[in-house]
Amino acid sequence: MKSVLLSLWSGVMGLLLITLVQSSGLPISNALTAQPTAVDHAVSHTLQARYKALAKQLTQLMPTQPYILVDTARNHLYVKRGDQVMLDALASTGSGTILDKPGDSKEQWIFDTPRGEFTVQSRLTNPVWVKPDWAFIEEGLEVPKSQADRLESGVLGEYALGFGKGYFIHGTLYTRLLGKNVTHGCIRLNDDDLKSVYRLAKVGTPIMIF
Amino acid sequence: MIFLCATLSILLSLTSVSLAAELDVTPALDMTDPAALQEATRVLEEEIKLAARPQTYVLIDLAANDILIKGRGVELHHIPIENWSASQLAQVMTAYRLRERPPVHRRKVDPVAGAEQEPISLADMPTTFTLQFSPPLRILVLSNSDGDPWQWTMQRGRMWWRRFIAWGNILRAGDPSLSPPTLDLTVSLEHAQSLAWTVTEGMPFLIRRATKP
Repeated sequence: MKSVLLSLWSGVMGLLLITLVQSSGLPISNALTAQPTAVDHAVSHTLQARYKALAKQLTQLMPTQPYILVDTARNHLYVKRGDQVMLDALASTGSGTILDKPGDSKEQWIFDTPRGEFTVQSRLTNPVWVKPDWAFIEEGLEVPKSQADRLESGVLGEYALGFGKGYFIHGTLYTRLLGKNVTHGCIRLNDDDLKSVYRLAKVGTPIMIF
Repeated sequence: MIFLCATLSILLSLTSVSLAAELDVTPALDMTDPAALQEATRVLEEEIKLAARPQTYVLIDLAANDILIKGRGVELHHIPIENWSASQLAQVMTAYRLRERPPVHRRKVDPVAGAEQEPISLADMPTTFTLQFSPPLRILVLSNSDGDPWQWTMQRGRMWWRRFIAWGNILRAGDPSLSPPTLDLTVSLEHAQSLAWTVTEGMPFLIRRATKP
């Protein structure tokens, strides 16, 4: 009975000590070393329990289903499930170049692939490209007034996965440029890899881009 | 009774170690070192807040000599640290937001020229740069000069100038704790460029301090 009480007392003292150390702002390397061994042990146990609970909490935030990972610096797209790489594909991502918007405004388009976490919002087959203004301006052409004049089919491959704000993972006619930063922000893949990604990804699949 | 408690205690210790191995979210963590464990716990608490949101973040792990690019707790990319030094790290308690990314020279598309414009690539990224954060924190990223004496001299000069300024600030304030934390990281040239490429404005950074020299 005495030892049980002693364990309880040590636990309470341990918690108290952690609170004191955390609120003191002392350098952590010096804060815990000068205490008696029994308290050290209790602190260690309490910390271990806290650490384990937090580690579990963090692992619960990790995606359990396949997710898409895009490395824009090295132009690779991966589909992963946990640590397992299900697909490693050469890609093309944003060129990082800029284009002045027409008129007097100082606004510009910046052709970067967005970074951060996104989700697959749409899955399209035989997508048609609705050419945005920059596609015409970049070629020195007039921006058409009719929407029909913006449509171009057959340039995005057989599939496209939308991840918001007009950005897509899609195919390309320019496979020789895969591995380079040449796009206006979209992510290009060859036909086979695009088909694999399309099969593996569902609406809601996370896309992490760095 | 004492024997029973001791046995239970040993069993609990073994279980906790094996569970920690299963949940290996903090590399190079000595579970028997209370200071290291406390630091890892502090970082985990902060990381959980970051990982709960759809964003990528950076964890500078000085204990494992690694810079980890992460999202949702998953390691997306890692950059080995070759060397580091720091001051006022005891003040590091929270996540830091990058105020602005290193400057990048972007090429402008010229519709009149017609020819394809050269895109930016990793090679365009700076090899030595300073990152400023909110709350105040300054990280100087240096690349391994690989025997280039000119680059080595320039980098050391920059590092010592920054330290000189920091000491000046401390002397002026009269209280070292008022001086913001600073961190100098040396990585390979490619990794410095890779880090400059990866970081974005507003990106959160966490620092896990080393508790052993």
